Amino acid sequence: MRNRIIIPLIITLLAVPAGFAYVHWSKGGTGTGLYSRYWSPDPVQGYWDPANFYQSPDSVQGIFAGEQCVQCHEGITPGIVNDWRASRHAQREETVYCNDCHGNDHQQLRLPTPDVCGNCHAKQHDEFRDEARYGFPSHVLAMERAVDAKHFVDKPKAEVQSCVQCHSVATKCDSCHSRHRFDAAEARRPEACITCHSGPPHPDDETYFASAHGKLYLAEGNNWDWSKPLTKGNYKAPTCAYCHMDNGRHQVAEKSLWKFGLREINPHTSKNQVLRKKWIKLCSDCHEEEKARQWLTELDQERKQAWQKLYMAEAILKDLRSDRLLQPAAGERPPYPMDWLDSLWPRERIGFFEGQASVFYNVSAIERDYFEMWYFDNLGAYKSAAHSNPAGVEAGHRKMVASLDRIETQANELRKLSQAEKKAEIRIKPSGDLWMKGAYTDYNREHN
Amino acid sequence: MRKAISDVGCGELANRICRERCGSYLTTSYIFGIFCLATYSTLAAEPAPPGPFTETECITCHTERDPNLIRQWREGSHSADSGIGCSNCHGENHKESAIIARKDQSCTGCHEGPASHSYSTSKHGIITRLEEARQDWRQPLQRGNYRTPGCSYCHLHNSDHGDTMAPDRGPEVRQWICAGCHSPRYVRELFANGNRQLEIADLKLTEGESLIASAVDDQTDALPKLRKSLNHHRHNVLLGIAHQSPDYQWWHGQPALDGDLIRIRDRILQSRRRKSLADNLEE
Repeated sequence: MRNRIIIPLIITLLAVPAGFAYVHWSKGGTGTGLYSRYWSPDPVQGYWDPANFYQSPDSVQGIFAGEQCVQCHEGITPGIVNDWRASRHAQREETVYCNDCHGNDHQQLRLPTPDVCGNCHAKQHDEFRDEARYGFPSHVLAMERAVDAKHFVDKPKAEVQSCVQCHSVATKCDSCHSRHRFDAAEARRPEACITCHSGPPHPDDETYFASAHGKLYLAEGNNWDWSKPLTKGNYKAPTCAYCHMDNGRHQVAEKSLWKFGLREINPHTSKNQVLRKKWIKLCSDCHEEEKARQWLTELDQERKQAWQKLYMAEAILKDLRSDRLLQPAAGERPPYPMDWLDSLWPRERIGFFEGQASVFYNVSAIERDYFEMWYFDNLGAYKSAAHSNPAGVEAGHRKMVASLDRIETQANELRKLSQAEKKAEIRIKPSGDLWMKGAYTDYNREHN
Repeated sequence: MRKAISDVGCGELANRICRERCGSYLTTSYIFGIFCLATYSTLAAEPAPPGPFTETECITCHTERDPNLIRQWREGSHSADSGIGCSNCHGENHKESAIIARKDQSCTGCHEGPASHSYSTSKHGIITRLEEARQDWRQPLQRGNYRTPGCSYCHLHNSDHGDTMAPDRGPEVRQWICAGCHSPRYVRELFANGNRQLEIADLKLTEGESLIASAVDDQTDALPKLRKSLNHHRHNVLLGIAHQSPDYQWWHGQPALDGDLIRIRDRILQSRRRKSLADNLEE
């Protein structure tokens, strides 16, 4: 009896510190994040993640006061000086000069991180940092999400710089408050979001602009007073920031109910009931509460239908995996550099939380179709439903049905082919090195 | 605070030179003054007629006034490849002809699809759109005059009527244009990364091409279609880099190329299997 307590206790006492030590060790490499020992940054990454990778220039020597910076840069980079002059930083009595954010010593210059902005903008900074409590997806954890993704670790770092451009919303403030104007009025407009919130997995731009809210914005938005705070009565139609950052709260994930449409959730847990109330309260700035409640229910229904289709596709793929019909098999694909388990026990990753977001390369065609159905068709439908764009919902579901059809057809063909091979007593020809070699595939293997 | 040259008028500039360099530059300032007057009186003597003008009329007159500009246009792809003339961008009248041509809309009528979408969703594109009403479009396309670059700011910088972003102009010209706002080191790093991204996209193209070349038995149109798709997605990567659109570099670019490679390989694998089945049945 005593042993039953003592042995697990000892194991726990050893395992927990060992776990912490391992995580600490794993973060001590040339990169950042959990797999930092497996990659080194591209030189340009310092501009996207300055706290970790920015190196000060050594071109100019000297220590400069703010006015001196301005005088010189007026000739060198007039664009940013003009921008700064038009900003509140330059126009307030106690001018905020270049050196206040970048430092005085030209050989020790820094690129401002959120902490630098937070020295003055404490409220916004605290809210932004506190967003971490909502987990993924969120702005503050976006960089972490990017660098801990398996494809980020695996692929050449020059290629995945496009990822960190948007995921730098966690490491800099100028993703929304474009430098060097840093205008809150500009950041309130939907356009401030769409450089990142566009494209197949997150067509927030298209789906919002096609909604009644978006149409009203497009028609009249230029004439609205954008200096007003994001509160009830100030805007004729809601924009991205009005709903997702109501009252100027710098926590876009605060009301995140459906988690970007990436996973199925139970919309009626007690925690989510609180979020639903928040949404209903927000919509009732303009609409009747009952109407808002009804829209949320419609969104629940849309999600339910979407997940039914996605699970059908998933079941087909899992069956193919059980019957060993996925070609190439996991062992015939280039492994991720940090996944040593894969080399011991190769296994095709099927399922939305088994690293599925990285399954867009080095897999079979049917898995890629499944990825696109989940990541493009499904998220398109979700964004349309959440932004009240019925035509987009219909289009998204039509695409999901087409993808599901394609997946079913492919699976049937794979089965037929395999049966014919069995009948003819051909041992299924493995794909051999078809997936393992090639100009890019070889280069990728060498460059992490 | 020092004022930028563009913010002061002719007379004030002459006065300032006179005041600051007292005496020694007095003559210069007089000459400068006379030059200003002469320029003004020439323009006043021949005010530009309002129009409308035919293409020939534009070219006849401007060949005399701006021979360099006409030469650039003649050698550039607009004239040489597509027969695009003055009025396509400037309209047929003199009034506001430069302003019309400087705005993005004069380009996007023809350059639609990915070429303009990759720009219009970039930070440059969205800020240009938001600032359109506030921007002084009478300003020449030079550094310091525009908050963000529109199409014309980069591609017709300093009113150069060839394409200042054309590959044969060399990276220095492009870097100089970007460096009107961004630090030279940042621009260099960004360009270097862009080149590496393109090299990677080209490796994917090479991989795809050699896979397709190995599939001699496949006579269907599946592989040619996939080759087209590869090239389309490679072009998206280029647009994404050139217009600084993360989405075109990424979702419309690199992972889309990865998808093409998967489908090419799958196609090859399926035909190999079918072929070995057919061979087996024949035996």
